Amino acid sequence: MLVVLSVAVMVVDARFTLLKPVRSQMSLVLMQSYWIADLPERLYQGVASQFGSRTELAAENEKLKTENLLLQGRLQKLAALTEQNVRLRELLNSSALVNEKVEVAELIGMDPNPFTHRIIINKGERDGVVLGQPVLDARGLMGQVVELMPYTSRVLLLTDSTHSIPVQVNRNGLRAIASGTGNPERLELRHVADTADIKEGDLLVSSGLGQRFPAGYPVATVKEVIHDSGQPFAIVRAVPTAALNRSRYLLLVFSDGRSPEERAADAAQQQESLDRQAADPAAVPSTTVPSAAPAATPNKPVVPATVPKPAATGHNTSSAPAAAPAAAPASSTPAATPAKPAASKPPAHQPAKPAAPKPVAAPAATHEREE
Amino acid sequence: MARHAPARNGWVVWLTFAIGLLLSVSPLPQFMEIFRPLWLALLLAFWALALPHKIGMVTAWMLGLAEDVLYGTLLGQNALILTLITFLVLSLQQRLRMFPMWQQCLVILVIFGLAQLVQLWLSALTGNRQPTLALVLPALVSALLWPWVSYGLRGLRLRLKIN
Repeated sequence: MLVVLSVAVMVVDARFTLLKPVRSQMSLVLMQSYWIADLPERLYQGVASQFGSRTELAAENEKLKTENLLLQGRLQKLAALTEQNVRLRELLNSSALVNEKVEVAELIGMDPNPFTHRIIINKGERDGVVLGQPVLDARGLMGQVVELMPYTSRVLLLTDSTHSIPVQVNRNGLRAIASGTGNPERLELRHVADTADIKEGDLLVSSGLGQRFPAGYPVATVKEVIHDSGQPFAIVRAVPTAALNRSRYLLLVFSDGRSPEERAADAAQQQESLDRQAADPAAVPSTTVPSAAPAATPNKPVVPATVPKPAATGHNTSSAPAAAPAAAPASSTPAATPAKPAASKPPAHQPAKPAAPKPVAAPAATHEREE
Repeated sequence: MARHAPARNGWVVWLTFAIGLLLSVSPLPQFMEIFRPLWLALLLAFWALALPHKIGMVTAWMLGLAEDVLYGTLLGQNALILTLITFLVLSLQQRLRMFPMWQQCLVILVIFGLAQLVQLWLSALTGNRQPTLALVLPALVSALLWPWVSYGLRGLRLRLKIN
């Protein structure tokens, strides 16, 4: 009878979602055992870090500092490149790159079944993890979430024999599908033409075509390409860039769950609002420019101090807008002080006029502050 | 022996099952993964032999469900297998208790091997078929472990007079 019951339960679990709550409730208790089984490792690490010698720590610190420096250096370039990329994409009228949010998760267990490559991480449904969410480590894509539990989730790795991911060669954009082989150090590219331009050392990045993985993350490097005349396709083997069986800290990628159309529409709206914003500051400077010009004129006399004429023409042009804010100088004294040394030069022969540039310089300064 | 004696120290049985669940998910080096013994099945076999009035197929089924949740397999897959193992052990119980240890090992090997084959069959049905027959290795390792588990638990049982 129990056999019948278990068969029934299996069928129900395979076909319907009826047992999902049961499973998630049971996992709430049972998943603790992964945590407990992981405890010795954790304890060992804790003890090791407690008793880590000072020199080791110093060495590690040094290493991290250099690494940080290198990464920072690369990051400087990245900002410029990202900006350039956005501008080029605007020129091409293609959709903007989506900036994904990531969250750190920790590995708490491996799947005990040696024939599947699955891991268990310490973030679950309550942390906002969703089914099919991509998982990265520091070096590349690792896999996707296949089972959700309240506080844990199961991640299917790229190298599982039931997993495939659409990739493209970073060098030339050649598309292919990388399938897992059940070997943690190997992926295989399926159905790659014998004449395809792919060679050893090529970096494969996710192409985002399956709409499951975000585009552009490194997946694997090609290890060998075998052209066998007896085979219809080339045999391409690749090594995953992520440390699939060594990484302890993983990154969960939160990209928005919108459809591509919605995303495009949103991006267009955002672009529009950005354009409008870009137009608004353009309007603001246009008002400040004329006032900034006379503000700059007091600086000019530094050079032509001997020639009072340019200063005088500056006063003449600015005297018209400066008529109204005559009361301003009282409040703008700190802002006006930098203008004073410049202004104090012309007053040698015309003491009345410096009063005019002062209030003009003040609004210009405040404008600049507001921005 | 002491049928009228009140049940005592029953919690020890459940403690061993809890430890068995832990062992069945404890991290092992990569190359040893395929040798992971069937801890729950071993414990169930022993307790079914020792306390057949307490540990039966229902217990096995529940533990199997727990294992299913832990392994992320279909609910009921391991439950079915553990139930099968317990059924076989219980039906052979009278003879198995008389056997010398090495014969017990052989019987355990056969029972667990059968169970693993059913496991293979079920996982083939659900779509993730293991490529090799290495699946039967855990049964072999479990059979080799049986004497130690058996003697250890028997000592524990006599010491605590678990009934």
